[in-house]
Amino acid sequence: MIYNSFHGLPSRSIVAVWGWLALSAPLQAAVDYMKEIKPLLRERCFACHGALKQKADLRLDSAQSIFQGGKSGPALTRGNAGTSLILQRLESADPDEKMPPAHEGEPFTPAQISLLRQWIADGAPAPSDDHAETDPRDHWSFRPLVRPAVPVVANAAWVRNPIDAFVARQQEVQGLTPQSEAPPEVLLRRLYLDLIGLPPAPAAMDGLLREVSTDGYERIVQQLLGDPRHGERWARHWMDIWRYSDWWGLGDQLRNSQKHMWHWRDWIVESLNAGLPYDEMLRQMLAADELYPGDLKKVRATGFLARNFFLFNRNPWMEETVEHVSKGLLGLTMNCSKCHDHKYDPIPQNDYYRLRAFFEPYQVRLDAVEGVTDPNIDGIPRVYDGQPDLPTWRFIRGEENRPDKSAAIPPAVPAFLAIPQPDIRPVTLPPEAWQPERQPWVIPTQLASAQRNMTEAVEAAALAVQKNSGAPAADQAAASVAQAELNTARQRVTWATAEWDSVRSRADAMRAAWEQAASAPDKRRAAVRAERLAAAAKARHGLAEAEAQLAQAVPDKKPEAEKAVTTAREASAAAEKTAAGPVEPDAAFTPIPGARWTPTRFLNSSADDPAVTFPEHSTGRRSALAAWITDARNPLTARVAANHLWARHMGTPLVATVFDFGRNGAQPTHPELLDWLASELISSGWNMKHLHGLIVTSATWRLSSSAAGAAANAAKDPDNLHLWRRHPVRLEAEVLRDSLLALSGELDPAPGGPPIPPAEQNTSKRRSLYFFNSNNERNLFLTTFDAAAVKECYRRDQSIVPQQALALTNSGLVQDAAEKIAAHLAQTTGPADAAPDDTAFIRQAFLLLLGISASDAETAACSRALEAWRALPAGTGGDARIQLIRSLLNHNDFVTLR
Amino acid sequence: MNRPFFSRRTFLSDMGMGFTGLALGAMLQRDSLASTPGWHPPSGMPHFPPKAKSVIWLFMNGGVSHMESFDPKPMLTKYAGKTIAETPFASAQDPAKLALERLLVPDANGNQRNLLYPLQTGFQKHGQSGIEVSDWFPHIARHVDRMSIVRSMYTTDSNHGAQAQFHTGRNMLDGEFPTLGAWVHYGLGSLNDNLPQFISLGTREYWIKKDGLYLGPAHDAVPLRIDPANPLDFGKSARPLSSAAQNVSMDLIRELNGLRGVEYPDDPAMAARVASYELAYRMQHALPDALDFSKETKETKALYGLDLAHCRDFGAQLLSARRLVERGVRFIQIQHGGGGAGAWDAHSGLKANHSSLALAVDQPIGGLLADLSRRGLLEETLVVFATEFGRTPGSQGADGRDHHIYGFSVWMAGGGIKGGVVHGATDEIGFHAVENRHYVTDIHATILQQLGLDSRRLEIPGRKRLEIDHGKPIREIIA
Repeated sequence: MIYNSFHGLPSRSIVAVWGWLALSAPLQAAVDYMKEIKPLLRERCFACHGALKQKADLRLDSAQSIFQGGKSGPALTRGNAGTSLILQRLESADPDEKMPPAHEGEPFTPAQISLLRQWIADGAPAPSDDHAETDPRDHWSFRPLVRPAVPVVANAAWVRNPIDAFVARQQEVQGLTPQSEAPPEVLLRRLYLDLIGLPPAPAAMDGLLREVSTDGYERIVQQLLGDPRHGERWARHWMDIWRYSDWWGLGDQLRNSQKHMWHWRDWIVESLNAGLPYDEMLRQMLAADELYPGDLKKVRATGFLARNFFLFNRNPWMEETVEHVSKGLLGLTMNCSKCHDHKYDPIPQNDYYRLRAFFEPYQVRLDAVEGVTDPNIDGIPRVYDGQPDLPTWRFIRGEENRPDKSAAIPPAVPAFLAIPQPDIRPVTLPPEAWQPERQPWVIPTQLASAQRNMTEAVEAAALAVQKNSGAPAADQAAASVAQAELNTARQRVTWATAEWDSVRSRADAMRAAWEQAASAPDKRRAAVRAERLAAAAKARHGLAEAEAQLAQAVPDKKPEAEKAVTTAREASAAAEKTAAGPVEPDAAFTPIPGARWTPTRFLNSSADDPAVTFPEHSTGRRSALAAWITDARNPLTARVAANHLWARHMGTPLVATVFDFGRNGAQPTHPELLDWLASELISSGWNMKHLHGLIVTSATWRLSSSAAGAAANAAKDPDNLHLWRRHPVRLEAEVLRDSLLALSGELDPAPGGPPIPPAEQNTSKRRSLYFFNSNNERNLFLTTFDAAAVKECYRRDQSIVPQQALALTNSGLVQDAAEKIAAHLAQTTGPADAAPDDTAFIRQAFLLLLGISASDAETAACSRALEAWRALPAGTGGDARIQLIRSLLNHNDFVTLR
Repeated sequence: MNRPFFSRRTFLSDMGMGFTGLALGAMLQRDSLASTPGWHPPSGMPHFPPKAKSVIWLFMNGGVSHMESFDPKPMLTKYAGKTIAETPFASAQDPAKLALERLLVPDANGNQRNLLYPLQTGFQKHGQSGIEVSDWFPHIARHVDRMSIVRSMYTTDSNHGAQAQFHTGRNMLDGEFPTLGAWVHYGLGSLNDNLPQFISLGTREYWIKKDGLYLGPAHDAVPLRIDPANPLDFGKSARPLSSAAQNVSMDLIRELNGLRGVEYPDDPAMAARVASYELAYRMQHALPDALDFSKETKETKALYGLDLAHCRDFGAQLLSARRLVERGVRFIQIQHGGGGAGAWDAHSGLKANHSSLALAVDQPIGGLLADLSRRGLLEETLVVFATEFGRTPGSQGADGRDHHIYGFSVWMAGGGIKGGVVHGATDEIGFHAVENRHYVTDIHATILQQLGLDSRRLEIPGRKRLEIDHGKPIREIIA
């Protein structure tokens, strides 16, 4: 019998499970309406027969309304299951009668039906205070945001700012007493890790500790909020929520996200550091191309949307956009209404497609950046409305092969939020937006590159002349090889010169066209000719190269080389002929590109779809949506943002379902506090640093996470919902790795730029947010500590698994850090041989690594371990102090923010 | 001493739940969801008495031809070279019957193949049941009386996203969802505190590289290498370190964490972290032992084909799987056939491809079934042989078969599954599953049923699962 051993339980537990199951049989005592019937009906029936909808005028969300019934009469007859309509409909074989209807959920199970039958037979008893659901629009998060008054509390002495008053009030109602403030070394570690994601510099430690425990606390807060590393720390939080991802695909084929997505990451870091308001950040991410069309630095923000690019199919691309704009910015699970009306929130299926319609026109392109001619090397991924007239269809039951083409769905937002619909006005773009080649750096970059090529060609030719001008060739063959080399070098000069002339002429012609100058037609013709001359020069160079190959070819490769020469000669002749011929009146040249559309493959033709051009107008849909989302009257946006901010400071959110503020989501633990924070966010001008400052200076944030001596609190509120102490937090993967490097003195503080490729990550000393991170390429050390998955990460996991123990014990990263840290500490506390008493070393290590003032017991334990390592046979104990540091890096308090 | 107030969590660690108990992160987060009416995280107990305790999941990457493995179709040979339209089975291509397809990534191959391609191998009846199996799988065929073959599978993604679909139950157009193994790991407690309960072996090629997804990374499979010296990521110290020095370190960490407990009593995260170090330590010792074949007899090793170059790698994975099952590992996920979209993806040269791959897997799988059986382990171990889809009855190019979603085969053995059963059927050319059709989640439901789990009771708030995600157990093959 293997089953006896499940979890070490004796077999009678299995028997107990059986006994419990048997209770579901209809022989049991009275059915409990509140526990067994109402939850069942809520799950299966309320969506159509409740507060959201009242199909057939029937509501099943209270016993009273069940008795009352709908169009077909009372839903049941008390005491008589046989004649009860609800059972007839549940058990009907007629698909027109059967409930729930097809595609609206599975039939009730026999056990559920018998439960219902028994309840009816028993006379359908229900408590007198049973009430129907309230109006969905009256749900807490859908109500307008009203700034709550700050409560007056008994424990006023504890209150440092209004946050604490709200927290204290709930504690007082619950009869809870807050724990004491955390010790200064813990507060200091918290401040640094929370605000900049790095521990305090060892050298500054003593001074900072004095400050934090006196009146310097707020100064440190302000200093950290102004530190550029603050943007790097908090960018990573928002990158989780906004789904930052580097590109991925299959091999070299880009299928998801975009190349050079780091431009958006840098925009996030810079914007946070510059104190860009949250609402403005959202507006720029959704619509900077409409709001600031000429300002490419701001347009970087639209990486938020460009990131959803998907090569093969528009629908998953649009679905991710709708799902995460609504979950991430509004706390609405719009994705639930892709196939049917939302089962909990007043969001009809059409609303899903209405929201999609805002995004339907957008496409992705890479805009040229200064100094780079090839967008594969660098370019800014951004969006633009490329297909303004593309209709949005509702998909019947969400199936993309069943579009309802009877009517295109126009852009609109859910009507249940009582804010006016977005005012959509088309935007006329400035020329440099839809003719990105007009950006002032584009033509100079191409010219400079052509010039560089010319210089290089001339230098190469000089070298070739030098090489071949010495001793005369040994024989005829060597002479012809030398001749061919020289000729190739000369042809390269001619080509580079012609190419430079072509770029210059085309640039002239483009400028003349922009200015609508009278000379424009002449310049156009000149440009066409210059381009053809360049093509001819290129072909001549190709011929020279082929001839050089032939001169060098070994006998059995000669025929092949001769064939190549023939082909090149024909190509050259054709190009010469074109160049020598007349320029047709309507001939066009290849314009210098300022951007490249990112090709899609929706047509399944094994080739890129026809290019989508850059129109002069944008639909204005996204900027209108952005205005609606960031409207101060929108009850969701600020609440959702405040909850995200709070969660990341406090280790736990006020609303547990951070992406679902709807009726199926969790209730806030502190509704008034959330509303106050949201109001404060708005009234401060959506100033996130203001909120950061408020939170980290509150008495609530400063609480100790210890539960010592608080048995009474623990008994009343074991899960600390009312924040009588602080929730300890497992460090995020990035903070952990960055701290190791910072403490080693190895951290490379360089900000921004292209991501560190996977192959270089093991040796890189850059901050972890700069690592290349996509669905396919994730860093093993970081994922071991729950780094964000790029598809969705509204909250980080804080798992505790043995693989983490292995990574912290065995990885080169930690072992290197241990060596470096031990060496640094020895410099400040004295080397091991000079200071046989290790106490200073131990105490300083505790302070720096763990934020702990080591107790005597801890110091003694470490001293004993040092002795033990030193006592091991030579060569087996390693350096005892390095071993000690490595052990402390494995201390629970190193990976924990206390 | 205070009353322990994290009662549910301490309950879990008191239960010695090892990895699952330590998946505390997921729990810490979801604790705040615990106020959702009627919801609480799984206790680790099965919901009803289980028939199986472990699963060995054999997945052939790329798509095995059902006709040339477990669903022989002589009509293909009879009508070879004819278009489907010319045969009595023309209705197979009725567009209405082809509406299943939903592709995430379009498939350059095209899929519709009209010219029927003859069977590339023979087939024989086997066992008392007389079930026909192709000649490429003689070792597996010896065990037909222990197997239920489901010949009526279908899926919807006719590109290799179907690999992910087979594990998650969802077409990738719908996104990424936890895999079956992650659900099992989430739902069931540990049988061995020294070993991870969800292990992945072999090459995981395609698209979804993780398992836990919204259940959290604690429910990802732990990837193992069949190398007793270095089976785990970070399993070996980057610098030489004697075990004596490591023991001093372990003792110190334990002592220091204990001392912190004075100031921070009743800290479940700290308790879990201490336990995780103990477990990591035990795991470092238990895994090499689990993967060490030196105590296996020559005969056993030969049974798995370890003495044969062509099946040594896969044989070693399967022998490891048996050793892990013996030690109480819940779910061992083995992917066979790396490279491209999966080695079995025989768009051309099907005969050479399948015959050599079959040679690599047939003896090890036959050996695994024989070995489990003689040790009495097969009763409580469910062995599953699956692939993302079948292959087209028509030829692709001169000698290949394309991807085929409308009908294919999966078999299961052990763990309370009937033996000698063929369930469901495709039409006479192997095109459509026509009898007792099953979507991939019916396989999931069957496995969960045998493990004693009700997937509806594993749902978490905010992550509504659909009917299709739960599937229905295939009652006809359950003993």
